[in-house]
Amino acid sequence: MAVPVEYYLLLSAAVFCVGLFGILTRRNALMFLMSVELMLNAANINFVAFSQYWGNLTGQVFALFVLALAAAEVAIGIGIILVLYRNFGDVDVTLAREMRW
Amino acid sequence: MALPRWTALAPVLLFALTGMLVLLVDTFFPDTRRRSVLSGLSTLGSLAAVAVSGWFILSGPGTAFPPAPDSGATEGGPILLFQGQLTVDAMALLFFVVVGSVAALVSIASYDYLEEHSYQGAYYSLVMLAATGMALMATANSLAVAFIALELSSLPSYALVAYLKQNRGSVEAGLKYFLVGALSSAVLVYGISLVYGTTGALGFDAVAAALSGVDDAGLNGALGVGVLMVLGGFAFKTASVPFHFWAPEAYEGSPAPISAFLSSASKAAGFALAIRVFVTAFPPEVMLETLGIDWVFAFQVLAIVTMTVGNFAAATQEEVKRMLAYSSVGHAGYVLIGLAALAPTASGANTDVVLGASMMHLVVYGFMNTGAFLFVAMVEYWGLGRTFEDYNGLATRAPVACLAMTVCLFSLAGLPIGGGFMSKFVLFFGAVNAGFWWLAAVGAINSALSLYYYARVVKAMWIEDPADDLEITRQPLGLYAAVVAAALLTVLALPAFGFVSEVAVDAAASLLPGA
Repeated sequence: MAVPVEYYLLLSAAVFCVGLFGILTRRNALMFLMSVELMLNAANINFVAFSQYWGNLTGQVFALFVLALAAAEVAIGIGIILVLYRNFGDVDVTLAREMRW
Repeated sequence: MALPRWTALAPVLLFALTGMLVLLVDTFFPDTRRRSVLSGLSTLGSLAAVAVSGWFILSGPGTAFPPAPDSGATEGGPILLFQGQLTVDAMALLFFVVVGSVAALVSIASYDYLEEHSYQGAYYSLVMLAATGMALMATANSLAVAFIALELSSLPSYALVAYLKQNRGSVEAGLKYFLVGALSSAVLVYGISLVYGTTGALGFDAVAAALSGVDDAGLNGALGVGVLMVLGGFAFKTASVPFHFWAPEAYEGSPAPISAFLSSASKAAGFALAIRVFVTAFPPEVMLETLGIDWVFAFQVLAIVTMTVGNFAAATQEEVKRMLAYSSVGHAGYVLIGLAALAPTASGANTDVVLGASMMHLVVYGFMNTGAFLFVAMVEYWGLGRTFEDYNGLATRAPVACLAMTVCLFSLAGLPIGGGFMSKFVLFFGAVNAGFWWLAAVGAINSALSLYYYARVVKAMWIEDPADDLEITRQPLGLYAAVVAAALLTVLALPAFGFVSEVAVDAAASLLPGA
């Protein structure tokens, strides 16, 4: 029994919106990173589902690339959050206000 | 002479190899006194990449790399590599030159700027790796490569912006740049997934072919959202309006040579990618007629809003570096005119001129904007302040550098002292000829406004009296060389403009369908 591809689209849109909501409301930089991961994985759901739908492997392979890049992005992000903590004493993204926003 | 076809990627490989080599040298000699070796290596590597790309442009890519007899490719056409995932054509070569020259200027200038900092090997290798990503962005011929190249240039940039890790401004800039960058790359990749979902392909040509054959209207909404999200991802990279908030913060807080690098090379690479994606993968005629998606209109709105927001915000700034940051947003707006004038209604003879003019403006902008930011780097090196008043009377202490800065600023404003005049002139004139007189009019008004805030810096340097305690104790040779070289290149772009415009218009024409 095949699940229609529109359902995957709805699921991924929901995951994407959860991630976006987290980015807009959370003040903790680590939660922010997790929200970005949710958004990237929403795209991965699409890639894998549509890869099945079109019958080619392009989407599945690209999903693997996205996973690897997401890991690299988190590594850089953790590094920056670490220096943020050392300089500002917290991981609250709203504390860093040396410059006008 | 026939070279193997993969050597067309030599400029990109040179950036990557230089990055690795710098890291290797730093591993074996982790001694901060070696900084001249590191800076020299990355400068030489970038210059070699510029030289090789210049040679390819002069000899014509088709002459150096004749197509395989059975490939059916035409002589002199773009060189497709890895089954069409990468393409090296005239536009890619032009942007190799931009990225390479900016990387060379930044490497020379960093020699003095980083005098008292540690981890210099990491710094230079990150600059080179980011340059690799930017060069790769100009060659990307598939959405997958586009995303990977964009991340390859973004990830080192985040680290470079936060490089001064004891400095709260730099850390804050790095955090903001990273947060907005991570968000927009997630938006971009989701957009790509929607485009893949509706077309079943990632290669630009395959996407275009699938779009023109689409008859199932069920997923068109998803495609429209996907195209808009891809546009958003590129707007981040080029610091255009909906995603420009990071730019003033990141440019102000980061080390000034990195601001120069990001605002010139990174922006140029983002535009190279945006131009290629929107011209070859989403051709405006197909998108409008068969699908009813008018992305040209989105670019027209973006161009006008970006120009206006950037220039008006720049006019209200009190700090020179932040003013330059907003002016960089404004210049993104001028370049967007090239894409905004691509409407199917425009006469075909002029769209290549307008698109070529955008590329020319990016080339010239690469020199003049780098020069201006590197002058700010020099002022930071001297330990003077950041505001316009702190520049008062600087010409009495450092006339050569101030002259170079003046040339760069007036060229940015569009006065006929450097290449900025010609590129803006061709851009606006081409827009008028293509039937978009109102885009050109808004651009001209904004240019006039920009003269006001650029002239404020010039007035402070040359006319105002210096403060009594204004003193310059050190003469940074590398920074001087870089600023003067940038100003010279800006001036030389005026007599050499005929050649640059020929290359750029040819590149644009070969990109546009049916030309």
